[in-house]
Amino acid sequence: MDYILQGFKEAINLIMTFDPEVFEIVLISLFVSMTATILASFFIIPLGVYLGINKFRGKRMVSRIIYTSMSIPTVIVGLLVAIILSRRGPLGYLDLMYTPKAMIIAQTLLLIPLVLGLTYSLAKNRGLNIARVAFTLGGSKFDSTVLIIKELKVDIMVNVATAFSRAISEVGAVMIVGGNIKGHTRVITTTISMMNSMGDYPMAIALGIILLIISFLINSFIYSYGQED
Amino acid sequence: MKLDLIDIKKAYGEKTVLDIPQMTIEEGKITGIAGPNGSGKSTLLNIISHIDDTYNGKVKYNGMDFSRDIAKNITYVFQKPYLFRRSVYDNILYPLKLRKLDKKTQENLVKDIMKRLEIENLSNKRGHQLSGGESQKVALARALVFKPHLLLLDEPTSNIDSESVKVMEREIVRFNKEREGTVLIVTHNLDQAQRICDTTIYLDSGRVSN
Repeated sequence: MDYILQGFKEAINLIMTFDPEVFEIVLISLFVSMTATILASFFIIPLGVYLGINKFRGKRMVSRIIYTSMSIPTVIVGLLVAIILSRRGPLGYLDLMYTPKAMIIAQTLLLIPLVLGLTYSLAKNRGLNIARVAFTLGGSKFDSTVLIIKELKVDIMVNVATAFSRAISEVGAVMIVGGNIKGHTRVITTTISMMNSMGDYPMAIALGIILLIISFLINSFIYSYGQED
Repeated sequence: MKLDLIDIKKAYGEKTVLDIPQMTIEEGKITGIAGPNGSGKSTLLNIISHIDDTYNGKVKYNGMDFSRDIAKNITYVFQKPYLFRRSVYDNILYPLKLRKLDKKTQENLVKDIMKRLEIENLSNKRGHQLSGGESQKVALARALVFKPHLLLLDEPTSNIDSESVKVMEREIVRFNKEREGTVLIVTHNLDQAQRICDTTIYLDSGRVSN
């Protein structure tokens, strides 16, 4: 038990003294996951709403594909991106492997089905009513989509936060395409995994606490925003 | 706007919910649609408004097929209206913003219709926080503010107090007289049909009944 308590003490010390290595890892994590979340949300939210409220041939099949791809394993996405970006791969000439850009690409691809599925489901269940009102007031399909995004913005933000949580807590894809290079592609999850295998718990616990704090802050923000609305 | 319904058929599986061989709704008239629950009244409004486009037959609007321009001149107040999560003022403003009218005109039109429907006191209240009766009045204001040619109303005065019913009926009739707007109103209240409608159609099991 002592080593656990000792681990916590040292972890708190690392956080309180603003340990440069800890905060560098946190910053890289935030940068990679936030960028991926923004990229995955920007075009995909309107697309999800559009697909959710409109009728088209093959909609059932599209639903199944979207819902299935929401749970795609992170290592599969990592492997796919690694194959494409590796030196012998089709985009190998871009020299992106083991860079934060590769990690952003992998996480964006991981998040797209999740954001699409959550938005699609939301629009299908709650957006049709709003779309009908927009239509009967003279709105186009574009107007309906914009209106639904505005009306359901709190729910959409919860979905975006869910996507960010998946991004910042995943280890498979970033480990494969980032390589866990110190000061370059080392993020919270890959460090925790590495420190655990080395038996170096204080750093792992410190990063675990920070990960929980980030998650708490995001959820608190969304909760208070939802209350205001 | 004159409506011609030609051989309209709507079915859910084996069950036919609407079967109208021919019907004309005269321009500038208030037409009531009465009938028991499940007789196809709301289905008829859904088809005319083109919210439901999965039916057989044809609806002609002033002799023309449905188009985007026609859609812009039709509006529909639902039995349980959905109001946006914004102020009542902004709810009523929405159709005017879609039509890109200048700001001053928008403001005047919104204030005018709010005054007519006696809902000025609700201006800053959030749409989704209103009572049923208040919501109905705001939904009617939002429908009338852009001066449509065809107004479809699905039991717009159900479950609201008699004073509010008077105000709403007065504004529906005013819209009809001043704008020569065509009104189709689904109602269970035959007294109301007698008070405001020029003619009433009875539906029973999806068919026009004598």
